[in-house]
Amino acid sequence: MSLVTAPQDTAVWVDISRCKACDVCVSMCPAGVLAMVAAPSSILGSMIEVVEPSACIGCKDCELHCPDFAIYVADRKEHKFAKITDEAKARAEAVKNNKYRKLSA
Amino acid sequence: MAFDYDKYLRVDKMPTLWCWGCGDGVILKAVIRAIDKMGWDMKDVCVVSGIGCSGRFSSYIDCNTVHTTHGRAIAYATGIKLANPEKHVIVVTGDGDGLAIGGNHTIHGCRRNIDLNHILINNFIYGLTNSQTSPTTPQGMWTVTAQYGNIDPTFNAAKLAFGAGATFVSRETVLDPVKMEKVLVAGFKHKGYSFMEMLSNCHINLGRKNKMGDAVQNLNWIDDITISKKKYDALPDDEKYGKFPTGILKEYDNPEYCESYDKVIEAAQNKTTVKL
Repeated sequence: MSLVTAPQDTAVWVDISRCKACDVCVSMCPAGVLAMVAAPSSILGSMIEVVEPSACIGCKDCELHCPDFAIYVADRKEHKFAKITDEAKARAEAVKNNKYRKLSA
Repeated sequence: MAFDYDKYLRVDKMPTLWCWGCGDGVILKAVIRAIDKMGWDMKDVCVVSGIGCSGRFSSYIDCNTVHTTHGRAIAYATGIKLANPEKHVIVVTGDGDGLAIGGNHTIHGCRRNIDLNHILINNFIYGLTNSQTSPTTPQGMWTVTAQYGNIDPTFNAAKLAFGAGATFVSRETVLDPVKMEKVLVAGFKHKGYSFMEMLSNCHINLGRKNKMGDAVQNLNWIDDITISKKKYDALPDDEKYGKFPTGILKEYDNPEYCESYDKVIEAAQNKTTVKL
């Protein structure tokens, strides 16, 4: 089933049946929106999660770099994206240093 | 509403058989966006692919597709294009497919300057058959057929294509899908042989034994060895070694093969010889 229309008023959403957990989108995200979480039923043992959807700046780097057609970003005309903040940059850096895993609260 | 890739895909074949993080998927997406930008009807597009990971292209994209024998994609595509000169033919080969076993077909396709859009996905290894040395494997790297390090000098695919007579030569990497899309659109618009080399990652079969086992590490390595054409031209000669310039490297006009062939048809009907 096609998932091109956003579930609700969301900035970024994922088709988890297609995601192979390659970490590429997390490494590309400049705002720390995405992170991997443990998922024992998945092939590589982890799965993508949209952690901070409100911080998404709509750069579409994750969508463009996803090789598996799994991640989608809303159109700029339909969704108002946030501006990048220092907090978001720091979170992105922390997630990358945490081997792309979700930061424990 | 995001960009609808599923419209151009055989959705029942999803998810793809490619490994996690494989650049081939990024290139497939860029090709789809470029086709969308060109406004082509999928009934007028034919994707021809050879054997290898890149050969899966023809399985996933929903248009006229031919999955051909190893290295012979250009030969099939030449026939398809000559029979249907008004259709758009996209050939997808890998580095082993298009430069080793099909190297001859590639250079003679370039020489004829037939209006094909040749996408050569260069991941520096034979990925499908588990890491044998390909013509582009960098020297010093471990492969199963060069277990003490590869000593073979490598091909520069873009220079080869230009030398053979392709009238549009470009190189892009999977790190910049937006630029890749622009180059693809320029190549699709070009009348004549468009040779588009796409540097891709194979962290599974090249990376794991060469200290870049993650997709991200392999992408960083590709980032290190590439440089934009403008910056490359400004570099002193001794620093150019081992760097790959990206962007549109050459573009010029030359008579296209299908148009020349029309003259043969005309000459045969009038029982004369061709006038060029």
